[in-house]
Amino acid sequence: MAETAIAPVPEPRQRTSRKPLLSVDGLVKSYPLNRRGLFRQKVTGEIRAVNDISFSLDEGETLSIVGESGCGKTTAARSILHLVPPSSGTIRLGDTDVCATFSRDRRPEVLALRRQMQYVFQDPYLSLNPRWSVRQILSEPLRVHGLVPPAQWDGAVEALLERVGLPAEHADRYPHEFSGGQRQRIGIARALAVEPRLLICDEPVSSLDVSVRAQILNLLAELQEELKLSYLYISHDLSSVRFLSNRIAVMYLGNLVEIGEVDEIFARPGHHYTAALISAIPVPDPARQKPRDAISGEIPSVVKRPSGCVFHTRCPAALPICSRQVPPLAAPDGAHAFACHNPR
Amino acid sequence: MMSLAAETQAAAALPRQPEAAASQAPVLVSVENLHIQFPPWNAPIRVVEDVSYQVRAGETMGIVGESGSGKTLSSLAILNLLPPPARIAGGRILFEGEDIAAKSQREMQKLRGRRLTMIFQNPGYSLNPLLTVGAQLAEILKVHEKLPRAAALQRVEELFRLVGITDPGPRLSQYPHEMSGGMKQRVCIARALLCNPALVLADEPTTALDVTIQAQILDLLEELKQRLGMSMIFVTHDMGVVARIADRITVMYAGQVCETGDKHAVFARPSHPYTQALLASTPRIDKRYAVDAEGRRERLPTVGLAATPGQPLGGGCRFAGRCPEAAPDCTRLVPQAAAIEPGRVVHCLKRGSAGVPGHG
Amino acid sequence: MTDQTIASHTSRPKPLPKPAKGIWRQGWQRFTRSRTGMLGLVLVMLVVATAVIGPFLAPFDAHDQSPMLDPGAKAPPSWTHWLGTDRMGYDVLSRLIYGAPTALAVGLGAMSIASVIGVLVGGFAGYRGGTTDEVLMRFTDFFLVIPMFVVILAVVRLLGVAIVNTPFESVPYLNLGVIILLIGVFSWAPIARMTRAEFLRLKNQEFVEAARCIGATSGDILFRHILPNALPSLVVIVALGIGGAVLAEAMIGFLGFGDPAAVSWGQLLYFNYEALKVAPWASLSPGLAIFITVLGFNLLADGLTDAFNPRAKV
Repeated sequence: MAETAIAPVPEPRQRTSRKPLLSVDGLVKSYPLNRRGLFRQKVTGEIRAVNDISFSLDEGETLSIVGESGCGKTTAARSILHLVPPSSGTIRLGDTDVCATFSRDRRPEVLALRRQMQYVFQDPYLSLNPRWSVRQILSEPLRVHGLVPPAQWDGAVEALLERVGLPAEHADRYPHEFSGGQRQRIGIARALAVEPRLLICDEPVSSLDVSVRAQILNLLAELQEELKLSYLYISHDLSSVRFLSNRIAVMYLGNLVEIGEVDEIFARPGHHYTAALISAIPVPDPARQKPRDAISGEIPSVVKRPSGCVFHTRCPAALPICSRQVPPLAAPDGAHAFACHNPR
Repeated sequence: MMSLAAETQAAAALPRQPEAAASQAPVLVSVENLHIQFPPWNAPIRVVEDVSYQVRAGETMGIVGESGSGKTLSSLAILNLLPPPARIAGGRILFEGEDIAAKSQREMQKLRGRRLTMIFQNPGYSLNPLLTVGAQLAEILKVHEKLPRAAALQRVEELFRLVGITDPGPRLSQYPHEMSGGMKQRVCIARALLCNPALVLADEPTTALDVTIQAQILDLLEELKQRLGMSMIFVTHDMGVVARIADRITVMYAGQVCETGDKHAVFARPSHPYTQALLASTPRIDKRYAVDAEGRRERLPTVGLAATPGQPLGGGCRFAGRCPEAAPDCTRLVPQAAAIEPGRVVHCLKRGSAGVPGHG
Repeated sequence: MTDQTIASHTSRPKPLPKPAKGIWRQGWQRFTRSRTGMLGLVLVMLVVATAVIGPFLAPFDAHDQSPMLDPGAKAPPSWTHWLGTDRMGYDVLSRLIYGAPTALAVGLGAMSIASVIGVLVGGFAGYRGGTTDEVLMRFTDFFLVIPMFVVILAVVRLLGVAIVNTPFESVPYLNLGVIILLIGVFSWAPIARMTRAEFLRLKNQEFVEAARCIGATSGDILFRHILPNALPSLVVIVALGIGGAVLAEAMIGFLGFGDPAAVSWGQLLYFNYEALKVAPWASLSPGLAIFITVLGFNLLADGLTDAFNPRAKV
């Protein structure tokens, strides 16, 4: 990190360890673009939802993937968990090759892998089976993984509920009897039931009321510290990202355009898209409404990805080269990488 | 921290708006002691209770609140567009001196779409998918202004240009599904402006949009407001958006007004415990969150928001169940408006409000 | 979350611990508030009660033609024969009562068959997707366009000829069984389509994905997550189908292709419609019975739709 003399630069946030827990290398997820004929479908092209992204996540840290709709952040997260099988690339979790394990499909191996990483869903109204009581929802992972003998399920369920700040008496209620924030707590408890090391949180607070968001964010921070969890936090909401992350990765149209320490990126965004994204967030303080460098234009369709740098159609500093050549993701100072021909 | 320093300088360089800029303008809309209820009528659910605020000409009133705060219902009442079982159970809504709540649907139809218009949260749902956008908007002009079709289309094209739609001519013959979300919202804004409205009611108009598009739409609304001099009621849950777009703010909680005032004053000196808690707990993009050597992260202050909402409607102050300062009287007495500064009103017994016994 | 928050959650005295409410109990609560649904339920219960206890109370046996002698055929209602007698000298009320179990057997039997086939085909198509889905749904479309009555009438007539002088001749209610089977085989297509739509909708729901994340097996996901959530919609369409099956059997009976051994409302109509002017009671009462049964099941389905509508409030 280059220290500039203009303003005192605070210490970068501690990365608690240097051993990567999750490493993603060259991840691609593409969908065939079909035209449906009378009898069979013709493949006429492909949509690259995630285009060759690489990053790693250290133990105990939070890496946030941010971007707007269609940037591929959710697809990337779902590929890691094999909810959608990735098209190519390698994903390693600890010493396990994730893609190979899923394609071998040996149940003990898959279960061992699933146990290490869990998902927290965006919409707590859709992510809990409406037909099941909380007890059933929380004992499912215990049953599937056989972690606890059935006689101890009740105790385990109650411990989980209290762990996420819900009274144990609520175990026999059904999801619709809870508020959004409470349901999200149940979703988190379900993910914690298998004692994972990595939690992939897909917009866990964006569908919650503002007064509840802070509580869930605090809960996530608390759980991370106590259970030594690593988070891959997917969000478009940069303010929650700023609160919870150690590092952030910015995606645009399936590409990773910038990755680095959170305070570094907010202070000195390298990519023009990151800068535009940060300046587009309205700050809840009328005295600090800064002059905006709002970017014009709209996000192009994933079907027609621009050539060269995907952002050049909206970029305020685009050069002729930007439309021809894809800029490589490079880190001039070692830690903070961005993909831009004409950086800020 | 080069750019943070630069930000602060830039913010300081911006002329601070005088805190009561529009207070000399005449009052355009005055909501007075509005009550809205849902059935059962023998024990009605009071979703909006005793809400009062005023919007002056040329001013943007931001109404902030969470789901269930009554922010949308109280503004729909101004258009006389309450969803069926809900009804106005008391109070007046004065628009240009006339009581809207007492008007017939027929009289309202003349007003709606002309003097009073609305921008909805989801532009996709509020446009007819079967008609081209040009035809839909021209139809409004034909009904309200009795313009012939060609003239109407021309006017629509002018408005498209005004709301920043590039290439407005060909856009007229497009269907809504051929447009992006941001573009559809621009069309909806153009529709709201067709007949030179005095008041535009915008209900979360940027919530469904991506942040970079939201910034564009907010810029556009601000520019339009200055160019056309209309008033706006901007309903949102986002403290950031309201800080950006509003002149004055009304904070609502569970159907009651917490406080009203100039936005600079409300953000600088939030008075009501709910406003204070909300502002304190909102994570901020311009704040560094400390992490200590063991990786322990600073927490967001949630004092006053800890308990889950669930207080039955009715009774006294509806925030009392979560309020860190609540006294026994708070659950019994409904706090009335108390002026704490020029142009600022708070509803809190602890801030000098008088209390009247609630219905609960 | 701070500790203080947890404390405030746990120490807060719960006002009243509400009993747990599942989707069925909740649905029942909403159902009882639906006036049409309750009317449907009452009508259906009426038919069921008639079918179950009616034969014990019926004044005459189903095949007792003795009234032919006393009041005679086509006798108007009287104290002995509350609904009069018909063209063949049967007591109309008794025949009506004995028709109820037949109607229910047809409705429930045919729809059980249809449900099994429909749920299997639709569920498989919806869950597997892709080519399997494509092939199975074209197969389903094929069953939707076959004119059911033509096939059933042809089969019944051919069967009637084919079994003469074979041991099948002595199988009781063979004809009725075949009719039930055929109605079932020709009414699974809508159930399959509904099942497929539900499975398609549910298999990508977040709670199903959550189960997948946990590592639940396909069987778990299908039978513990997807099917139970699809059931409410299926119950509605099956209830509608029961009414349809009763009507179909009545039409087959009315055309004279019913089981001669079974008492069916359709057959009563067939035997008596020619005497409509002379003895209207003999043909109007089975008509009314069919009407009540079909209406009952349709209203019941209507009420169930409301009861399981996820957007409805408790």
